[in-house]
Amino acid sequence: MKPLCGEGSRAGGFRALQGLPMQKINRNAVLALLSLASLVFLLFQLCYYKFYLSQKNGATFSKVRGSQSGQDSTRWHVVRKFLGLISSHNIPVYLIDPLILGLVDKDIEQIRSSPDGPSPECKYFCASRDFTTFALLDKTWKHEVGLFRTAEKMGFQWLKIINKDPRLDGMDDLSGMEIPLHYIFKLASHAIHLVVFYERSGNYLWHGPLRLKQHMDRKFVPFRKLHFGRYPGAYEKPELLHVFIDDLKVQIPKNPSSFLEEMSHSRFLECRYREARAFLQLYPDDASLDAVEFRIKAKSLLHLAALTLNNLGVKFWLSSGTCLGWYRQCNIIPHSKDVDLGIFIRDYKAEIIPAFQKAGLPLKHKFGKVEDSLELSFQGEEDVKLDVFFFYEEEDHIWNGGTQAKSGKKFKYFFPKFTLCWTEFVELKVHVPCETLQYVEANYGPDWKVPMKVWDWKSSPSNVQDNGVWPVDEWDDVIQIY
Amino acid sequence: MEEWKPNPAVKPHKKRSWYLAWKYKLMNQRALRKLCQTGAVLFLLVTVIVNIKLILDTRRAAYEEEEESAQDYDDEMLNVEVPRHPVNNKKVLDVEVYSSRSKVYVAVDGTTVLEDEAREQGRGIHVIVLNQATGHVMAKRVFDTYSPHEDEAMVLFLNMVARGRILIFTIKDEGSFHLKDTAKSVLKSLGSQVAPFLSWRDMWTFVGKKGGEVYGEKHAKSPALSTWGDPVLLKTEVHLTSVEDAECHWPDTELNRRRKRFCSKVEGYGSVCSCKDPTPIEFNPDPLKDNKVFDVPVAVIAGNRPNYLYRMLRSLLSAQGVNPQMITVFIDGYYEEPMDVVELFGLSGIQHTPISIKNARVSQHYKASLTATFSLFPEAKFAVVLEEDLDISVDFFSFLSQSIHLLEEDESLYCISAWNDQGYEHTAEDPSLLYRVETMPGLGWVLRKSLYKDELEPKWPTPEKLWDWDMWMRMPEQRKGRECIIPDISRSYHFGIVGLNMNGYFHEAYFKKHKFNTVPNVQLKNVESLRKDAYETEIHRLLGEAEVLDHSKNPCEDSFVPDTEGKVYVMFIRMEQEADFTTWTQLAKCLHIWDLDVRGNHKGLWRLFRKKNHFLVVGVPASPYSSKKPSSVTPIYMEPPAKEEGAVAVPAVAAAEQT
Repeated sequence: MKPLCGEGSRAGGFRALQGLPMQKINRNAVLALLSLASLVFLLFQLCYYKFYLSQKNGATFSKVRGSQSGQDSTRWHVVRKFLGLISSHNIPVYLIDPLILGLVDKDIEQIRSSPDGPSPECKYFCASRDFTTFALLDKTWKHEVGLFRTAEKMGFQWLKIINKDPRLDGMDDLSGMEIPLHYIFKLASHAIHLVVFYERSGNYLWHGPLRLKQHMDRKFVPFRKLHFGRYPGAYEKPELLHVFIDDLKVQIPKNPSSFLEEMSHSRFLECRYREARAFLQLYPDDASLDAVEFRIKAKSLLHLAALTLNNLGVKFWLSSGTCLGWYRQCNIIPHSKDVDLGIFIRDYKAEIIPAFQKAGLPLKHKFGKVEDSLELSFQGEEDVKLDVFFFYEEEDHIWNGGTQAKSGKKFKYFFPKFTLCWTEFVELKVHVPCETLQYVEANYGPDWKVPMKVWDWKSSPSNVQDNGVWPVDEWDDVIQIY
Repeated sequence: MEEWKPNPAVKPHKKRSWYLAWKYKLMNQRALRKLCQTGAVLFLLVTVIVNIKLILDTRRAAYEEEEESAQDYDDEMLNVEVPRHPVNNKKVLDVEVYSSRSKVYVAVDGTTVLEDEAREQGRGIHVIVLNQATGHVMAKRVFDTYSPHEDEAMVLFLNMVARGRILIFTIKDEGSFHLKDTAKSVLKSLGSQVAPFLSWRDMWTFVGKKGGEVYGEKHAKSPALSTWGDPVLLKTEVHLTSVEDAECHWPDTELNRRRKRFCSKVEGYGSVCSCKDPTPIEFNPDPLKDNKVFDVPVAVIAGNRPNYLYRMLRSLLSAQGVNPQMITVFIDGYYEEPMDVVELFGLSGIQHTPISIKNARVSQHYKASLTATFSLFPEAKFAVVLEEDLDISVDFFSFLSQSIHLLEEDESLYCISAWNDQGYEHTAEDPSLLYRVETMPGLGWVLRKSLYKDELEPKWPTPEKLWDWDMWMRMPEQRKGRECIIPDISRSYHFGIVGLNMNGYFHEAYFKKHKFNTVPNVQLKNVESLRKDAYETEIHRLLGEAEVLDHSKNPCEDSFVPDTEGKVYVMFIRMEQEADFTTWTQLAKCLHIWDLDVRGNHKGLWRLFRKKNHFLVVGVPASPYSSKKPSSVTPIYMEPPAKEEGAVAVPAVAAAEQT
């Protein structure tokens, strides 16, 4: 289009010489000016783009097709250099990059079977991406500063993100040195994201959120594109595997697909210790012997229940009073007298009851049926009871049912939709609803912050509704008391 | 044919039509041209507009990206930057020093750095060390030179201070009674004219540079024995030097960087800050072969006694088999100097907001520290608990490495402790020997995680209970009949003189003569015989071979035990029931061992050494080992002294400390 218009303007210029000179000249001038302007703009655009690129050098990873192959090998080279750096300091890292692990997972059989075969092409580490993510177990290295000196000598720029140590965040007012949570090593147009994992009570690994302090360079890398760090995360300790991929020796999780699955819902919530401390200021903890003993019993019951359900592969979460205890005071509520768990009905397995019985927790009662309002109750040590509520998902809400044994009355407890997050509770890694506040408020109303010693499960909850009566002929089935 | 001829009549017509066509065409072309022109103009305009828009857009996008790229990742806690004091280019410090009977204070540039007007406290010479380049307080000490030996401590301290530092002295109440000539001459060498003549209840202030000029001195003589000198106030100016002059030029290494940071902040740690030949801060002791405690976390419980902590960490880091990565120092309170010491050694330190008061504060600090230790090292099955006023034996970890499996396997064990309450110079002999005792000695011990998590932590005394944590742990409700393993010769040494339950007199009487192992790599003997049942067999064997001493003699006298070596002797004392320690306490008193409560017993049996002989004491008839007593022997009974005396004994100690 452009050349044609150029001709047009020249033609206009010719016409302008023939008649009405002033007007024509004006028009000509205008046209010339315009074309000049467009030319200038064109140039400017070019320059600006060039400038924009150089300014973001490495930060905006160019997606220009032409330089694809160069980019590919850059990534590989950066990863190779990084692995060299790490191994020269004897720091064991393992690959957790979801993009690469996704690719690796497709060929996992082949990679496992030929652990050191040379690869014909750069298949994994050259794949298009902005970062390569590795994990580091904190306890496996000594925080030597030497690593960073060497990194700088190799041409890496690096960024360290530190924050407070959540393991000291309990009820005691401790403040330690801040701990490193993330490192980013940048070289040329590629960056390595090194996520530091910490072992925590409850036999799991934790990584922190990535939060930039005020003075930090916000353009160091496009932080939003990172795969780790938006939220803290909780993971099982992975089994690792040494493999050769793209001629590089790396460690990867033995089962990449299950790692990726785990990653997709790894979000971790820290207990609200500060609020819990404030709560305890207002309502001092019950330090009586009864309370102490109930807590010991409830904790061991919860540990046993978690072990049993985890062995079955049944996903569960802290519900009702136990969830409130976690959210409000980071502890078991001493006057709650039972432990409450929630399970989605889709995760129901017939083996649940025998498994609990085998673990030494006899069934105390069973209300409802799998299709409707199922609720199980097991007898723990002495008078501590384990209640398992099954939750039914609907279009816009989730509910669980209750049954009054003597009348056969049914109740329905409504909850807004929620997803599950990990947390740590009494040295256990367990699920809680991510949207805990809504969950607790649905159950206990806006005054959940005020302890209530008297609680009637049929009338006290703010989300309860009558749900009719079980037909008498079904009673034997839906009301079983042992 | 004519047809072939061009028709002239047609021609114009033809011409006209061609013209018309041309004209028409031309007109059309003009329209086209016009169209093209307008099109071009429009297009150019559009290009310009699009271009401008593009520029604006990219700019905005870039700006937004900048803003947004990290937005989700911003620390929600707004880091309120503490406004830094502008670099102080001032070359002169105003110093004010006040000395009087009941109050002392020191102000540097208008900031009070010392103020003490508490009654019955802070008597003696107060010393403050300032950095000659920055004017920061590097050390603050008070030496109660009214009391004996304190002047020696002062001399020691002054000798440790680096040349060039600014020293400020002021006396509160009385500071000359036990100020000996050595100390006076040291003060004189610092430039004081008055120091050699300081006498009873004189008031005195002095400001000088170590090894340099004197900035001022003031003195007020006490007119009579019963009165004090008039208060004196010294106002003077001190000239600051450059930072380079105040620092040493050590080679630039990671270690020296830590050293530099430390030495620019504090004083009084001796050769660690010496420019010429600084003492090492990394020790690299030999590793232990097959170290079973390499991964056991070590919790060092500390308060605000940084010099103690310094000494303690030095000995800990010099012990064979130490793993610095597992060490955490827990400081009760937000004190800077202990943290500086921790950082000097490159260890990790955690500060704890103090909860409650006195014993309860210590007890809460212990709880927080233990909880944190198991939280920081969730895989640990044990934790080593140390205090800041302990020296650690070179084979401390070797001792634990050889015995820790017992704590794991033997349910009847409560702890392993490095401390033998009864292990004094004259009562301990064998570094390879271990005992089982019913008391919990503490002072360097190993705690099992399950014991802490399942039993102790949930029941730990709450802040309002003013209990000693160790007393609480010794209570039968907690101990439940379990025992601790201890060595004959302690693997820790309690050097602390200042403390909550500690003073000089008490330390001299009960801790100073404690035996401390200095032999490396001691191979412990018969570790397996420490198990519950095996130990009984061992004791019976020992009692079987033991020679019964002559019970007609006075057990307090040296001649009670024959002048032999390496023999086993047994004596029987009266012990009516399990809790009857009347005779034992008297015996302990005269043997000059721990007698404040009962320690080191195992089923009514005590094991110690006298004159290099193993010496067994059996309480009859309460002890199950009473059956070993020959019927001819009457157990010794020792009368407790009149009640009053015993009751007064301890308060008398406290009273002696006050003037």
